[in-house]
Amino acid sequence: MGQFMGSFNAREVDLYMDDKPTFNPQDGFSYNRKEREMIAKEEDLVSAKIPPKYRDYCSHYLLEYQVCRYKNMPLVYKCAHEKHNYLNCEHQDYILRMKEFERERRLRLRENRLVGVA
Amino acid sequence: MALALIKKAVLSNPNSLRKTIGIFCNASRNHWNYQYKPGPYPRTEEERAAAAKKYGLLVEEYQPYPEDMGYGDYPKMPDIGTDSKDPHYPYDLPDLKRNFNEPFHARAEIIGEDRYDISMRPRIPVWQQLTWFVGTVGGCFLLYFFLEDYKVGRPVTAKQYPHDGPHYLFSPK
Repeated sequence: MGQFMGSFNAREVDLYMDDKPTFNPQDGFSYNRKEREMIAKEEDLVSAKIPPKYRDYCSHYLLEYQVCRYKNMPLVYKCAHEKHNYLNCEHQDYILRMKEFERERRLRLRENRLVGVA
Repeated sequence: MALALIKKAVLSNPNSLRKTIGIFCNASRNHWNYQYKPGPYPRTEEERAAAAKKYGLLVEEYQPYPEDMGYGDYPKMPDIGTDSKDPHYPYDLPDLKRNFNEPFHARAEIIGEDRYDISMRPRIPVWQQLTWFVGTVGGCFLLYFFLEDYKVGRPVTAKQYPHDGPHYLFSPK
């Protein structure tokens, strides 16, 4: 149900899956948020023929995993740790996106509340 | 043809040869369209009787097509598809469900077993079939249009790519 109904109530503030955040990323934080950094180099990804849709902030793990597979080709079970690292990173990435969604939803609710008061 | 006849004469009995010659002669002498054409439209009772006799029908059951259809004196047979005929009757020609000398329907080639059954009675009436079809497909469309306003998804924002500008973690610098 969580997967299916996740964004159902967010439609009250016109927020749907895969929308982009609209507020300033620093709003409501007492500290400066850490910026995400891209570790893999674009030319390395191009050279490894990683498709553009996988060139996200986890692609250095993917690159490592693919290099490992290339080196151990028939024995790909040896790359279990690399694969695990990559999937963990993607999991964290997904959690970040969920947090951004919740933040966006709450900020929109807050804005509606403030407009209602004023 | 000649080769076929010689083969018959050499390989089979003379009786068969005689029959084969008959078939070949008949085929080559009577193969022009005017020989298959029906006669002119019957106007008097005598003409009707003659036409009925020609097609092997009783005068009472003989009924020509309307004159402007151009079928001449060809009889109008009941519209019964071969598929609708009784399969258990001992026909002379079971493959065609036809008796010897039984006149053909004018459109017999289209209402044969391999084409279309003109007198088919569906087990479920057509209006019921249509109602079920429209009800089912229309119901699906109604549900679709109703749910168009209730889109749901996973609670995530768009995937973050480095080229979309800076993204931030939820931890301090």
